[in-house]
Amino acid sequence: MTNTEKLKDLIVDVFLIDPKEFHPDLKREQIETWDSLGVVSLAVGVQETFGQHFTQDEAIGITGIRDVIGILEARGISFDE
Amino acid sequence: MGQTPRSARVPPDPLFVGPTTHWYDTMNLLIEHSSQESLPDLDRHWASAQTFAYAHEKSAAAVPWLRGISEQLPPPYRQHHFCLLTSGSTGAPKLVIGRKENSEELAWVLHAAQHSEPVRETIVALPLTYCYAFVNQWLWSRVMHRKLVLTSGFAKPELFRDALRSARDAMLCLVGPQAALLRNTFGGDRFPGVIRLHFAGGRFPQEQLPALHEMFPNAAIFNNYGCAEALPRLTLRRAEDGESASDIGSPLPGVQLKCGEAGELLFLSQYRCVAQIDDRGFHPLAPEEWIPNGDLVRDDGNGHWRLLGRAGEVFKRYGEKIALPQVLSSVNRQWHGQVACYREKDSAGEDGYVLVLSPQPSSENLQGLMQVFRSSHPRTHWPLRIESAATLPLHSNGKVDSLALQSMENRSLLWRQRI
Repeated sequence: MTNTEKLKDLIVDVFLIDPKEFHPDLKREQIETWDSLGVVSLAVGVQETFGQHFTQDEAIGITGIRDVIGILEARGISFDE
Repeated sequence: MGQTPRSARVPPDPLFVGPTTHWYDTMNLLIEHSSQESLPDLDRHWASAQTFAYAHEKSAAAVPWLRGISEQLPPPYRQHHFCLLTSGSTGAPKLVIGRKENSEELAWVLHAAQHSEPVRETIVALPLTYCYAFVNQWLWSRVMHRKLVLTSGFAKPELFRDALRSARDAMLCLVGPQAALLRNTFGGDRFPGVIRLHFAGGRFPQEQLPALHEMFPNAAIFNNYGCAEALPRLTLRRAEDGESASDIGSPLPGVQLKCGEAGELLFLSQYRCVAQIDDRGFHPLAPEEWIPNGDLVRDDGNGHWRLLGRAGEVFKRYGEKIALPQVLSSVNRQWHGQVACYREKDSAGEDGYVLVLSPQPSSENLQGLMQVFRSSHPRTHWPLRIESAATLPLHSNGKVDSLALQSMENRSLLWRQRI
């Protein structure tokens, strides 16, 4: 499973979106279930799936899927698959 | 029974073989091995002046307790009364004591309120030791001289199906969780001979009404809300007179309801138990004493009352109130199998719950269910986990055994909140 597929599964699972809705440019405001508890769930999921912790500032500052990918790429996780 | 010489009395051991009746000094004990077997004794005990207790054989663990507490029954209660063994969600045994005359009066009230003159027979699918089945099925039939058709319910589905197929102007009483079992076991069958279908004991299966009307095309369907302490009925609602499973309808004649300060249901009833015995001893109830039954309710102001859940089913999670019956109502819009839940805290120590489905849902079913949560409930209302099991553990009365549910093996994890 590629990292993009792992991230897709995680986003679908955490925010209960339809898999068909997923795309990397999805913004936080486009997902009504991306609330404050959702941020916590996403952070826990990223730790479980990719072994990476978000800092509090990173978690709060995420505005969409691209930001999640950007943080993980900065830590050496590739999404060029 | 009161004149039985001591020398003729049957010793109480062994309790679960041989005769179904055991004599104690203060009352008789009748054990229900099967409804068929205990029925003649039950008739005899009801006709007798002496008080009797009636317990299911699955209550074996409580029988020594019964023997111990029987001495606590004061002399005025040793005649003209009956005792049913019940237990709450804690599993602690409790004996509810009713007056025979009052319960017979309730049967007449129910008969009139539910327009049951056309009913000719009662199909029994619940153990008669269960308060609801005892009064709403056995006693009501006895008072009206109806034919009683005994079955073992879903324990022997073929015999149950035969009874339903052979029904002639019949009444059937079930508990809410059995609606899904009906569909899963007899789906596609039609039983036109059943003309009254009653539900009590747990959530009313409002979402299953279209399917139930297909199976029972001639049946009037009723919500028979009540509790063991009420022996057993408090309210009545014809299914079509409300749109929500939580609508329990209006109080029966002779019953008054009120809402306590914490939203708890309190009731006065001419037919309720007159005393209880539990681990703390004998508790007589004064005629004017309002009794709490552990449910939270709201007066809708239109004569109907609304059930918000058991006290333990309404709680706050991250400051937001959750009423599990409302969540289950959403689940049942999408999922037509059995569903149950149990309480659990999350890793942050916040209250939550786990949803258990049976049988295993398809991935499409699960996806549909998740979309219901997404569209109808905030994240705080979502379960901590969704699990599935081949079957749910049930009490002998058909209700889900919540304690066994939490500890049962072979549950599959379908989804979990990452928190």
